[in-house]
Amino acid sequence: MESIREIRAVLAMELRRALKSGRVIVLLALYSMFSLLVLFVVGGVSSKIREGGGVDAAGGAVALRDRLLGFLFSDDPAMLDALRDIPMVVLIVFQAALLFLPLYVAIMGFDQISGEVGPRSMRYLAVRARRSSVLFGKVAAQAVLLWGLLGVVHLAVFAYAGGTDPDFTLRLAIPTGLKFWLASAVFCLAYLGLTAACSTLFRTPAMSLTCNALVLFAFPLLNFLGSVNTASPTEKGPLSYLGYLSPSHYALDLLHPYLSRFGLSAAALAGFVALFLGIAYGVLRERDL
Amino acid sequence: MSERAIEVEGLIKRFGPKVAVDALSFGVGTGECFGLIGPNGAGKTTTFSILCGFLSATGGTARVLGRDPFRPGALKGKVGVLPQDALLPPSDRVGALLTYFARLSALANPEAEARAALERVGLEASWEAKAGALSHGMAKRVSLAQALMGTPPVVLLDEPTAGLDPKVAAQVRQIIRDMRGRQTVVVSSHNLQELEELCDAAAILDHGRSVQSGSMAELTAQSAEFRIQIARGEVPLDAVRAAPGCVQAALDGGWLVVRFNSQVVAAEDAISQTLGLLLASQVKVLAVSRGRRLEERVLELT
Repeated sequence: MESIREIRAVLAMELRRALKSGRVIVLLALYSMFSLLVLFVVGGVSSKIREGGGVDAAGGAVALRDRLLGFLFSDDPAMLDALRDIPMVVLIVFQAALLFLPLYVAIMGFDQISGEVGPRSMRYLAVRARRSSVLFGKVAAQAVLLWGLLGVVHLAVFAYAGGTDPDFTLRLAIPTGLKFWLASAVFCLAYLGLTAACSTLFRTPAMSLTCNALVLFAFPLLNFLGSVNTASPTEKGPLSYLGYLSPSHYALDLLHPYLSRFGLSAAALAGFVALFLGIAYGVLRERDL
Repeated sequence: MSERAIEVEGLIKRFGPKVAVDALSFGVGTGECFGLIGPNGAGKTTTFSILCGFLSATGGTARVLGRDPFRPGALKGKVGVLPQDALLPPSDRVGALLTYFARLSALANPEAEARAALERVGLEASWEAKAGALSHGMAKRVSLAQALMGTPPVVLLDEPTAGLDPKVAAQVRQIIRDMRGRQTVVVSSHNLQELEELCDAAAILDHGRSVQSGSMAELTAQSAEFRIQIARGEVPLDAVRAAPGCVQAALDGGWLVVRFNSQVVAAEDAISQTLGLLLASQVKVLAVSRGRRLEERVLELT
């Protein structure tokens, strides 16, 4: 009970600090600019395809869309079917965000612990609150902030998609928007955990950020090695399992229409969260402040 | 001796191959003001940091109010700490920061506690100031304010007057004096005159070891030595040496230094009989002081 009170106090202070500092505005601007860029590029290409007109052209556009969906998401027919009615611009922004978000999360929170341990301001907290409360309070603040930013950006993207695609009605947009926001929020948790772990490992924020960036580069590498080592769906090479070590491997199934596939991905990501936060707590618990 | 608020037994702290604290033992009674004394690198701040739960001990035990300070939540609401060189988050406003600390300490009325503590260190006008905009001295006082919030039973102060102007340093010393008897205070400082004035007892550390610990009277040999400053006249050294209980008597500069056995003669009797001998010999006396200065004792031991 006391721990929860401490976490709540840290969370409230961290949110207050974040909202008062310019960092949130800068991060929102960064994410918005990135999303806008993708929106304009994809929106332009989509409208050119639609402007092509004619029955043959429409059939070609559908085929192109399916090929693109297969490339970006999955060849799974159930998945393709679930994504069919969603504007391409939304899907591409989501897919691009999966690449961008881990770095974004790192920029947002790389100094959450190391920024307090380096100048020893952590000592003021450690004498009056459990180290675990400080850690989880800070991570919770990062999560709340990130989910809020994701909400704002998703709202903007879905509003744009609704405005440019007459078939994308409010009735379809609201549940889809919630689903995409939830998928992004769950996906981000694993990277929030990773950022917290990197932040506890070092006393200097610069080192934390460097470590975080190195791990972020390592994950796609694992994914790539895993994919090139898979000769066929039935025949897997020994390195093909490396892909499972990356949280991003589980991201796309968060949109899967089957609850079992979604649940498996969410469970895998929850495992990463537990692992990273466990490392963070273990390091912070034992470290000299 | 009062019940122990702090107990340190065979404490060891290593940083890699370097031994910062080496089998250190001492105790601090409840309500006592205790000094940690020693040159740079003696292990004062390391010991202090272990008592605050900032560092884990490599060996031995440290207990604050019977608790292991490194155990999560062990010191919550029990200990106020003024850490050395810990920066206040620069972008936070002083009032909001102290209220936050008070809330984390689970104090009943966080804002009122924060205001009262800030007033105690004379910085009530800085409530809205950003911590990063404070001078070194002001930041130190804010830091002291957070240590005083909630009147914790144990207060650990690392270099509380370092970098303060004389007036503010005197205020801080008065705050420490006010805590004596009501709270247990541990002060780590290089200012030996200050420690001699404030502390009931102390431990003198050198190379991570306690070279001597005890009451201030024991450390300064108040019950075994006195000094008399001579203005003029021939000191009857033989007569002084022959007095009951006198162990040693010698002239050191303009001072007559007398060591005596306190089991044989009480301090006041030893001083009185020596003064009587001097006055009878027409020796003019300027001053009398009991014991040695703490500084001399520390220089002798470290």
